[in-house]
Amino acid sequence: MELLTDGLLALLTAYLAFRCMLAPKLSKTVFTFFAFGLILALMWIRLGAVDVAIAEAAIASGFMGVLLLDSLRDFSPSYSEFEDNIEQPPNQVAFAKRSLSQWVPAIASGAGLLLFLFIALQAVREVPAGGGLAAFAEAKLPESGAEHPVTAVLLNFRAYDTLLEVAVILMGLLAIFAAGGIRQFRKPSLPPAKDPVLRKAILIFTPLLFLFGAFLLYIGKSGPGGAFQAAVLWGAIGILLHLGGWRIFNALSRRMRRIIIIAGPLFFLLTGFALMARSGTFLAYPPAFAGFLILIIETLAAVSIAAALTAIYAFLTD
Amino acid sequence: MKELPASVLPPLLVGVPMLLGMVSLFFKIKRRPIPGIIGSVLIGVLAFAAVVETSRHGTVIHVPGGWVPPLGIVLRMDPLSVVFISLTALIGIFIGLYSQMYFRTEEGAKVRFPLFWPLWFFLWAGLNGLFLSNDIFNLYVTIEVITICAVGLAVLSGEAKALKAGLRYLLAAIVGSMCYLLGVALIYGSTGTLDMALLGQVLEPGPTASFALIVITLGLLIKKAAFPFHFWLPPAHSAASAPVSAILSALVVKGGFYVMLRLWTEVFGVSLTFAAGQLIGVAGAAAVIWGSWQALLQTNLKLLVAHSSVAQLGYLLMIFPLLVLKPGFSTDSADWLPAAWTAGIFQVMAHAFAKSSMFLSAGIVVAALGHDRIASLRDLVAKMPMTALAIGIAGVSLIGLPPSGGFMAKWMLLKGVFLSGQWWWAPAILIGSLLTAGYIFMLLRLAFAPAREENRFRPVPIMLQVCALLLALGSFLIAIPAEKLVVFLENGESFGRGIETVIKGGNHGNE
Repeated sequence: MELLTDGLLALLTAYLAFRCMLAPKLSKTVFTFFAFGLILALMWIRLGAVDVAIAEAAIASGFMGVLLLDSLRDFSPSYSEFEDNIEQPPNQVAFAKRSLSQWVPAIASGAGLLLFLFIALQAVREVPAGGGLAAFAEAKLPESGAEHPVTAVLLNFRAYDTLLEVAVILMGLLAIFAAGGIRQFRKPSLPPAKDPVLRKAILIFTPLLFLFGAFLLYIGKSGPGGAFQAAVLWGAIGILLHLGGWRIFNALSRRMRRIIIIAGPLFFLLTGFALMARSGTFLAYPPAFAGFLILIIETLAAVSIAAALTAIYAFLTD
Repeated sequence: MKELPASVLPPLLVGVPMLLGMVSLFFKIKRRPIPGIIGSVLIGVLAFAAVVETSRHGTVIHVPGGWVPPLGIVLRMDPLSVVFISLTALIGIFIGLYSQMYFRTEEGAKVRFPLFWPLWFFLWAGLNGLFLSNDIFNLYVTIEVITICAVGLAVLSGEAKALKAGLRYLLAAIVGSMCYLLGVALIYGSTGTLDMALLGQVLEPGPTASFALIVITLGLLIKKAAFPFHFWLPPAHSAASAPVSAILSALVVKGGFYVMLRLWTEVFGVSLTFAAGQLIGVAGAAAVIWGSWQALLQTNLKLLVAHSSVAQLGYLLMIFPLLVLKPGFSTDSADWLPAAWTAGIFQVMAHAFAKSSMFLSAGIVVAALGHDRIASLRDLVAKMPMTALAIGIAGVSLIGLPPSGGFMAKWMLLKGVFLSGQWWWAPAILIGSLLTAGYIFMLLRLAFAPAREENRFRPVPIMLQVCALLLALGSFLIAIPAEKLVVFLENGESFGRGIETVIKGGNHGNE
C-alpha cells in the first residue's frame, strides 16, 4: 500500500513537472505549478519532514503562486498586445519546424541528463539510512530550550545559519526593490476587488489566519511549525487585505514599515551580540532563558517576514 | 579536533556589516553615505584587528552558541581567510569612497543608489561569512546571501539590459546553488557531519563522495564563471553601474574560487584524481585564451574589462592541476606547492586591485562621455591624465609585467608549472599574456592618439580619479611585502598543502 502511494506520488510529481513546462498557455503553467507544489508538499510528508512540507505548501506553492498569478497580468489582453501569440501553443509549432539535425543536440543533452540522473540515483542509493545528526540533536534537546528537534537545530544549535536566512528575506526584498525600479516594466496597479462577497470573505478569513499563524508559531516549540510557516500565514493576511482594498501596509509611515520589516533580523543579531558581551560566545543562550529568547526571536522574525512578504506583494501590485 | 584559541572577531566581522546594512536603511537617502563611509572604515579596522590576531595566535575559531561540531557550526579564521577578508575591506573602502562621489555625477544619478549601501553591506557580511565558514551548509547559506545581494546590486543601474543580464546571472547562480546543495545533502547523508575539519577525516572514497565532488565543483564553477559557464558574467558585470561592476568582478567571483580551494584541499582529497585536476586546468586555460580573445574584439570598454575578468579568473583555475599531486608524490616532496599557492593568492589580489581600478576608470569615462565606446577614448591622456595612468598601471598588472602583483602571480604560476613538470600549461599562460597585452595596448594607443573630432569630456570629480589610481597602484604595492605575506600565510594549515590522491584514495576502483 505504501509503495503504491509513494509510486503514485513520484509519478504525479514528474508528470506535473512536465505539464508545467510544456503547458501551451502561461495560465495553465501557473495553475499546474500550484498543483505541483502541493504534491511536493505531500512527498515531504511521506518523507517525514512535516516542517518542510508546511513551508513548501505555504511559501513555494502559495506565495510563489500568488506572485506568478500577478505576473500573469503582464500578459492579460487589457495590458498586452501579444495575446495572439500566447493563444497559440508555441511549443507545438516549434517542434514541427525542427529538422533532424536540430534534434541531435536535444537528444544528446537528454541522454546526458538521463545519465546524470542515473549516476545521481546510484549515489543516493549508496547513502546509508538513518545517518545524520538526529541522535546528537535529541541528546542535547533538554539544554536547547525547545522540545522539537527541528526548532532546536534552527534556533539554537545552528542559530547562526538561521540568522543569515532571516536576513536573506530582507535582502530578497531589497533586491526586488532594486529590480522593480525600472519604469518601463511597471504595469498598471491592480484595482481593489469590488465584489462584496469577496470582501466579506476576506474579513472572515483574517482572524482565522491570524490565529492559525499564532498556533503554528507557538506549536513550533514542540512540533512541526515555527516562524517561517507562521510568517506566511500572516503574510497571507496582508496580501488578502491588500486585495480587498484595505491597503493597511501603505497606511503605515515609511519609517514604521521599515522598523517592522527589520525588527526580526535586527533583534536576532543584537541578541547574539548581547549574549556575546555577556559570555564571550555569539548567540550562546543561557539554558534557563533559552526557551523564552527563542520564542521572542521567532515571533519577531515571523512578524518581519510576514511584513516583508506583504511589502513584496504591495510593491509589485501598486 | 585540536584546541584552537577562541576569538570574538569572526562573529563581529559578519555581524557588524549586517548591522550596518540594517542601520543604513534608517538613514535618509542623502545621508546614507555617512553610515556607509564610517561603517566601511569600521569594518576595515576589524579586518586589521583580524590580521593582528592571526599573526599573533595563528588560526583562531569561534563556536556560535557554544555547540561544537558535528552539532553546531565553527567559524574558523586562519591566515588564508584573513588575507581575503582584508583584501575585501581594503578594496571595499575605496569603492565606497568612489561610489559616494560617483552617484552625484550626472551619469551616476540615474542609478537607484539609495539601495546601494544596504545591499553592499549585506554582501560584505556574506563575503566575510564565506571566508570564515568551516561548515559546508553554512557555506551554502553565505553563498545565497552573496548571490541575492550581488544580483540586487547588478540590476541597480536601472537599465533594461542590466535587468536582462541580472536575470540571467540569477538563473545561472541558482542552478549553481542547487548543484552545490545536492552535493552537500549527499555528503551529510553519508557522513552525518557538515564540518569541514571532521569531513576531511571521515569522508570515504566511493561513488557518493565522487558524485558529491562533481556536483559541488560544477556548482562552484558556474558561480565563478569558469570557462563553459562564463556566459552570464560579461553582460552582468558590464551592465551594472561602475562601483557595482568593480565589487562583482574584484570580490564576488573570488568567493567561488575560495570555496573550491578550501573544499578541494581540505575535504575532497580522497575522491580527487590527477585527471580531475587536469580537467579543471583545461577549463582554466580555455578561459584564459577565450576570454582574452573576446576582450580583444570588444568595442565597449566595460565589456572589454568584463571579458578580461573571464580570462583572469581562468589563471586561478590553473593552479588546481598543480595542487593535485601525481601518484608517488607527497606534500613534502612536491616542491612546487608553495609556488602554486603564492601564484593563486597573488592572482586573487592583483586581479582584485587591477580589475576594480579598471572598472572604476571605465565609470569615470562613462561619467565624462556619457558612454563607454572604446573609439572615443582618443585624447584621454590630455583630458584626463590621471585616469589614463590608472588604466595603464592596472593594465600592466593584468598583463603581468614586472614589478606588478600580476607579474608575481604569473611568474610563480610558470615556476610551479615547470617545477612540477606540467610544462603543457605554459603556452596558455603566455598566449593569455600576449592577448592581454594586445587589448591593453590597444586602449593605451587610443588614449595617446590625438582626437579626430572634439570629444566633449565633462568635468569629473578629482576624487573619483584618485580612487581609481590608488587601486591601480595597489596592484603594484602588493608585490613589495610578498615575502612577509607568504610567511604570514604559512602560519595557517591549508597554505602549501597539496592534495595527495594516491595515499588515501588511489584504489577506489577496487570495491
